[in-house]
Amino acid sequence: MFRQSRPPDPDQDLVTRARDGDTRAFDALILKYGDKLYGLVYHMTSHKEDTHDLLQEIFARAYQSLKSFRGNSNFYTWIYQIAVNLTLNFLKKRKRRTGLSLNDPGSPVQHDPALVDTTHEANPEQQTNLKELQLKLNEAIMKLSEPHRMVVTMFDIQGMSHGEIAKVLQTSEGTVRSRLHYAHLHLQCALQDSWNERF
Amino acid sequence: MKPSVEQLENLLALRRDDRPEEGYWQDFLCEFHHRQRERAVVKSKLANFFGRVAVWFSDLGPSKWAYGGGVAYATVAALALLMPRGVDVENIPASPVNYQVVPAPALEPLDQLDLSPSTHGSAGEQVF
Repeated sequence: MFRQSRPPDPDQDLVTRARDGDTRAFDALILKYGDKLYGLVYHMTSHKEDTHDLLQEIFARAYQSLKSFRGNSNFYTWIYQIAVNLTLNFLKKRKRRTGLSLNDPGSPVQHDPALVDTTHEANPEQQTNLKELQLKLNEAIMKLSEPHRMVVTMFDIQGMSHGEIAKVLQTSEGTVRSRLHYAHLHLQCALQDSWNERF
Repeated sequence: MKPSVEQLENLLALRRDDRPEEGYWQDFLCEFHHRQRERAVVKSKLANFFGRVAVWFSDLGPSKWAYGGGVAYATVAALALLMPRGVDVENIPASPVNYQVVPAPALEPLDQLDLSPSTHGSAGEQVF
């Protein structure tokens, strides 16, 4: 019986060098996946300082655990798993510590202007509408549970496939699709009032 | 009106370009290396300390067993002293509950009900 062979990990060389103590190789890995992980953590925490601290912790954990990385999955999947676990743990702790749920609609982080996309080039009126819509979207995303927010972030914002998300979350593709479906329904309903035909 | 799933996905995809500001990763790498160095220093200090303890202990000769025994005894004694014990519950004398049972109003005895034939129908049923 044949086992489907996995394509070689494109980061194998960097990982081997980093494991042997080459700090520049690990720097290269940070620079390669930094932006993606930043996006993941930032859209989950909605807080810049928390994102920064978490990223430091994620890369430090990865660096220390590099010796135990057996290559059963790609480095990319492995570091994403670390990021997801640490982020979910952090969110749990933050909820307990502050007693403030991010799902609380009064939370100011939802109105963080940094979360509003400003790259879209359109006429001023359309841009204003888009900003308002993005704010509504922020609120709606923050009302999602963490597992649903995680799937929306990975699929819709980061453009990962269902299969990749399933691997990272160590769940089935069916579960990923189901969570995504539910999250989309929720977001559609939340934007119902502010949705404009012009978009 | 609701946005379609496709419209929603397009809206979310606009955030794909969200990135930290210019120069962020250079500062990030500096801090990362600084933290790693600090961690390594702490680690080596600890390793140094335990190494010295091990050397000192092995230099003690046969008396090390006495020291070891003393430390073990002190640890056990400290644990026994610090271990939380069950709280003694005082025996509080039981007092009767001050509650009087009020008898319910007596029901009208059955024999006082008017069951005379005039209130009965032809088949013996009650007529109202």
